[in-house]
Amino acid sequence: MSAPRTTPERVLAVIAERKLSLELGTLDLCFLVALHVRGDAAGLTAFNEAQLEDVFAQASAAVAPDADQLRRRATHAIQRLRDQRLLSRVDGQGVVRTGEFALSRLGTSIVQFFLEEDVLTRETLGLLTHSLQVAIAGVLDAARAAQTPAAWQDAVVGPLRVTIAELVAGIERRQRGLDAQQEEFQSEIRRLLEADWFGAIDRCQDLLESTSATLRELNEVLLRDTSVLLALLQDIEDAAVAAGEPDGEAAAHRVMDQVDRIAAWGSARQRAWSEYFQYVHRYLRDVVRLDPTRALMQRLRDQLAGVGRRFSLAHAAAQPIRLLRTVAPLPERPPVVRPRAPREREPEADAGEDPQAVLDGKVQRALGGGATALSAVTGEVTGELPGPERFVEAGRVAEAVARLARASADLERPWVAVGDDLVIEDWALAPGAAAPPREGAA
Amino acid sequence: MTRPGYAQLQDVILDPDFPELDLALRRGRHVDRDDVAWYALLGDAQDHLEAFYRRYGCELIHKPDGYYYLLPTGDKLSRRQLGAGDMLVGQALALLYLHPSTIERGGLHTMEELVAQLAAVMGSDALIHAFHTKKRRYDERVAQKAVRSRVGEAVRRLAALGFVELVEPEQLRLRPALLRFAEPVRGLSEPAEALAQLVARGEIALEEDGAATGDDGAGEPDDDDDAAPEPEPDDDGGNDDGGAARDDGDDGDDP
Repeated sequence: MSAPRTTPERVLAVIAERKLSLELGTLDLCFLVALHVRGDAAGLTAFNEAQLEDVFAQASAAVAPDADQLRRRATHAIQRLRDQRLLSRVDGQGVVRTGEFALSRLGTSIVQFFLEEDVLTRETLGLLTHSLQVAIAGVLDAARAAQTPAAWQDAVVGPLRVTIAELVAGIERRQRGLDAQQEEFQSEIRRLLEADWFGAIDRCQDLLESTSATLRELNEVLLRDTSVLLALLQDIEDAAVAAGEPDGEAAAHRVMDQVDRIAAWGSARQRAWSEYFQYVHRYLRDVVRLDPTRALMQRLRDQLAGVGRRFSLAHAAAQPIRLLRTVAPLPERPPVVRPRAPREREPEADAGEDPQAVLDGKVQRALGGGATALSAVTGEVTGELPGPERFVEAGRVAEAVARLARASADLERPWVAVGDDLVIEDWALAPGAAAPPREGAA
Repeated sequence: MTRPGYAQLQDVILDPDFPELDLALRRGRHVDRDDVAWYALLGDAQDHLEAFYRRYGCELIHKPDGYYYLLPTGDKLSRRQLGAGDMLVGQALALLYLHPSTIERGGLHTMEELVAQLAAVMGSDALIHAFHTKKRRYDERVAQKAVRSRVGEAVRRLAALGFVELVEPEQLRLRPALLRFAEPVRGLSEPAEALAQLVARGEIALEEDGAATGDDGAGEPDDDDDAAPEPEPDDDGGNDDGGAARDDGDDGDDP
């Protein structure tokens, strides 16, 4: 199983959570570089406090020669570097005695970036690709010989993930160094022209030519060697597939991606540099050579500032061609008229039910069922109606009951609830006194 | 100049790139080496096309700086003059084009750098008078915003004519045709003499004496809602725009 890969979101979340930051002034950077240089020159792996102060004094003399209170500022600078984990205490003695310090991996990386030691050259690239080729060939041999999953892990997956990946990363790091160097060249060309307009042409062209030659050589090496490297890695991947080793396949595939990236870098940089090369040559030819005294800029500046007559450039301004719409005959449309319909309709026979007859039928059925009070009849007839309709229907029921049955009531009629939302004055009904329903009732 | 593939004018016209190129040239487009196919076509068919466009009363101009454009000299094809605002922006862009800083970024500059260049050479007040209002009192924030807006409009018009290329909303790639703005001051002769020669060739037109940038009357009518909050009785109340181009009176239509 391949190792879980760290996602960018996860890495960013960790950095945000830990509130990581770096704050380095010129003095701090000089201090770091001075420590690195002193360590290299004297073969020191660690510095005691006196040596740190001595190196700080050297850095301070370069950045702020007039500054005083050196010891105090050195103490603060050392603390700043330690707080940012650029300088580590390596003796582990705590308060027992004065400590020994060394540059951390982060500190060393920063120093190396500024010293630009890792710039890709034809020699370093050739050496690195050759080493890579030898290492991958060794891994391929191991892959062909591996019989067990453990052998695959030890002899193939491990080296691919660590040794080979480190070598490829080394090339990529040097590529970034060369990118930084090219940017510096572009600034350098500008500085040269600003300092010595016409006299800088030859030096600018030398810079352009040297960078172009370097990139061309690097691209040739990359084109030649990456195809060999990719073929070897493809063999490892095939062997992993044949042996049923997904880890080996994934590791080989990842290194192939890295090698592809290296090759793509070479082509992209050469293309970009080629455009830049043409641009600068055109500039040198059209601008610098035609204006050796740099008077044109000053005259143009004066012109823009309003010296002399104002003028305006003429240019062609033909209107766009008028594209006429295709003429299509309009379809014949019938005149707009109102629909003719009889204003009055003939009366029609409606076979609908008579609501009064329906009600009478319901009341009749309630009376026939033995209801002895108006409330009972009302409850039975209006039981399924919604509240507002029940109130209206209750009046009609009372009228029907009065008509169809014989009702009697005391002077003070009792109020009786019919359901939850209706109260009526009740009548007593004589049993069996129902009259027959009218014609048409249900 | 004419390559074997274009033995006759008919061959040029039958080139698949010709219709687009022809329309672009007639609309005032300047064609340089970055327009690879068009530039190659113009280079290969220059003799045929010079004669072709002369029949329409135009000159196909090829500058040694590496660009072509069409200059109407008769009345068969419409001709325009750049507005005063466009001229100022064009000259500032030409200054940027000549500056060594342009080398560092391969000809790329930002709108911010352009406005800074204009302000540095002309001064902020003159810039506001040129692009916004001639009032003595104005709301500084509104005026600056208006200037940036007018400069942006001018850049878009110049981009349509091939002087610059809008790479991103805020980034411009400067093109060789910008050197047209420096023509009067390029030669060894006096600027006045160079101007006279350019006028004679129909390349430029001189502005009337006293016709300042903003009141050339060529601009589009403007609302004055963003001018100074305090009205001034002696002011003309109009906003000045030197941006839009001026038509020299059109005449011909496309054939």
